[in-house]
Amino acid sequence: MSMRKTSPMPALTLAAFIAAPALTASPAFANDALVELAKDPSNWVMTGRDYSANNYSEMDQINSENVTELRSAWSFSTGVLHGHEGTPLVIGDVMYVHSPFPNTTFALDLNEPGKIIWQNKPKQNPTARSVACCDVVNRGLAYWPGDDEVEPLIFRTQLDGHIMAMSAETGETRWVMENSDIKVGSTLTIAPYVIKDNVIVGSSGAELGVRGYVTAYNVKTGEQVWRAFATGPDEDMRLSADFNAPNPHYGQWGLGLDTWEGDAWKIGGGTNWGWYAYDPDEDTFYYGSGNAAPWNETMRPGDNKWTNSIWGRDPDDGMARFAYQKTPHDEWDYAGVNVMMLSEQEDKDGNMRKLLTHPDRNGIVYTLDRTTGDLVSADKVDDTVNWTKTVQLDTGLPVRDPEFGTRMDHKSRDICPSAMGYHNQGHDSYDPERQLFFMGLNHICMDWEPFMLPYRAGQFFVGATLWMYPGPKGDRQNDLGLGQVKAYDAITGEFKWEVMERFAVWGGTMATAGGLTFYGTLDGFIKARDSDTGDLLWKYRLPSGAIGHPMTYEHDGTQYIAIYYGVGGWPGVGLVFDLQDPTAGLGSVGAFKRLQEYTQMGGGIMVFSLDGRSPYSDPNVGEYQPNEG
Amino acid sequence: MKRTLAIAAGLAAGLAFGAGALAYDGTNCSAPGNCWEPKPGYPETVEGTKYDPQHDPAELSKQAESLAAMDERNAMRVKHFKETGEFVYDVSKIPGAN
Repeated sequence: MSMRKTSPMPALTLAAFIAAPALTASPAFANDALVELAKDPSNWVMTGRDYSANNYSEMDQINSENVTELRSAWSFSTGVLHGHEGTPLVIGDVMYVHSPFPNTTFALDLNEPGKIIWQNKPKQNPTARSVACCDVVNRGLAYWPGDDEVEPLIFRTQLDGHIMAMSAETGETRWVMENSDIKVGSTLTIAPYVIKDNVIVGSSGAELGVRGYVTAYNVKTGEQVWRAFATGPDEDMRLSADFNAPNPHYGQWGLGLDTWEGDAWKIGGGTNWGWYAYDPDEDTFYYGSGNAAPWNETMRPGDNKWTNSIWGRDPDDGMARFAYQKTPHDEWDYAGVNVMMLSEQEDKDGNMRKLLTHPDRNGIVYTLDRTTGDLVSADKVDDTVNWTKTVQLDTGLPVRDPEFGTRMDHKSRDICPSAMGYHNQGHDSYDPERQLFFMGLNHICMDWEPFMLPYRAGQFFVGATLWMYPGPKGDRQNDLGLGQVKAYDAITGEFKWEVMERFAVWGGTMATAGGLTFYGTLDGFIKARDSDTGDLLWKYRLPSGAIGHPMTYEHDGTQYIAIYYGVGGWPGVGLVFDLQDPTAGLGSVGAFKRLQEYTQMGGGIMVFSLDGRSPYSDPNVGEYQPNEG
Repeated sequence: MKRTLAIAAGLAAGLAFGAGALAYDGTNCSAPGNCWEPKPGYPETVEGTKYDPQHDPAELSKQAESLAAMDERNAMRVKHFKETGEFVYDVSKIPGAN
């Protein structure tokens, strides 16, 4: 067993927060400090843990031999219900916890987790809730380590469209900017992402016809640095002079207009509410743009670029180096915003490649060369995917099966995946030793019938009725068997193991050097599987279903595993809003009608360790001490 | 502005590949990155057909107007923050901002 006890950076105690900027030499860029902080497995400084977004920890104190001794160490209720997505951050002695609407942020003292160091609770217009398509979730916080001018900061997005910076030490608000306007149906659920001295913010609202964009703000002042759209003129999309030069067949110039009829691109969707990854050496960050609007494909002829695309952009000026459209002319709401995981692996020809692997909503897991955008592999995550026969690696084009397309005046049946995808917002993991991706998957198919509707800013602009149900490997009679977990090799395309789950594995996974893969389930468990075999080694009954990803950190020599509980999100819409019509909740109510038999709403965090060791193993820690005299 | 989508490609595909290619499978491209075709029995362009979305230009412009207004308010906040070191969200309370 090995676990680093000495941090490359000193643990950031409260005193250190104040003293650090004055005492330490300022690194060239703040993100260098973030890279260094992430190297210490005791920290978890961003979504995905570090810029490779692998959700992988080198720690092995908890391993496949002793995981049966894992017990709850402590817990914390956020005081709100609804879906709890994402994962908390840990920097030094502090855990930063976020919540769904109203998006309160908490800082907890890891030396005494019963103590809330600070909380920042925003006042938001409750109308924001009415334009959230899929529950009032939020995917996480971001951290900027500070420099000799400004103290370390925590960043938060709010459902009402604001991005704000607060002091990591005190929680005091530093600045607040408007990024999205709920009056036009534009909200924020994505976690902010810090690269150098910029904080990157995505967008939500394609179900209300919002044209997607990504924006960078200066971490210190909130000043807008750049903004890039997913559709429209090339200058709006910020395409670099050599955009897609290595792969001109992906398309290059003018397509943000030419692949739409008329002005439909102005309400064309392509929002990004998923996750980011960043390669500091290539100085490029990666993300996916979402679905086109409306869902009614007949109302928007064309490839609808650049919705549903994988992007590589320069974080300083936002200029796009490449984009690859996965689902041209989307007909199924395959919003292409899913997780991006970076790795370095040998390809089939034995060449070491810098890669990006991305399990998309459309049932294909894509691996691209992240320096060029070259397509390396594109495999079905399950053999029941039927909208496409195959993805041609030379042209990059998916060969559509017309039988499973959608169109006006027609009800399509048995399309797989459904609009919820074979993979959704879950942040998965990659084990660099085993060279395996551990993917939490959905197994849901659908019937789909579009209808005509007008666009009115601020109103829903969907235009399709859906019926969703378990895929062919599930139990359609009893509406169970809606999920899978698989270990995937991106080079060979093989699955080392795969298991079925009762419900969709919505929250993602986390892998550790202890040979374990952790994930939460909608029916209210955190589970640990053997990374080599997929065998279920341990589980624990959480208060409510989990839709976030597990994380791990070390504190005072003890490795902890933490996960949010609080069911919700798209699969929980029926339960959360008490809906009965199977086509309600954009079709998810029918698919998840059994969920309420296994869980109810909740909201909080559960933390685990071997034998449940915690700061309170000494019961006197944190006890009230009456004033002397 | 009216745009014509892949008419040439649609015709060419039909001639080159026969009836099978008429079903839109995404592989017949009019230009790199432009491979859409209408499905059999569906129009090349929807304007003037029963599938015309008849978008109201005033509605289509609301998002851009909203972004411009937010950006303008943010710029006032940033300017005041930089100048004074004090952050004020409510632009009506920023001296000289209105």
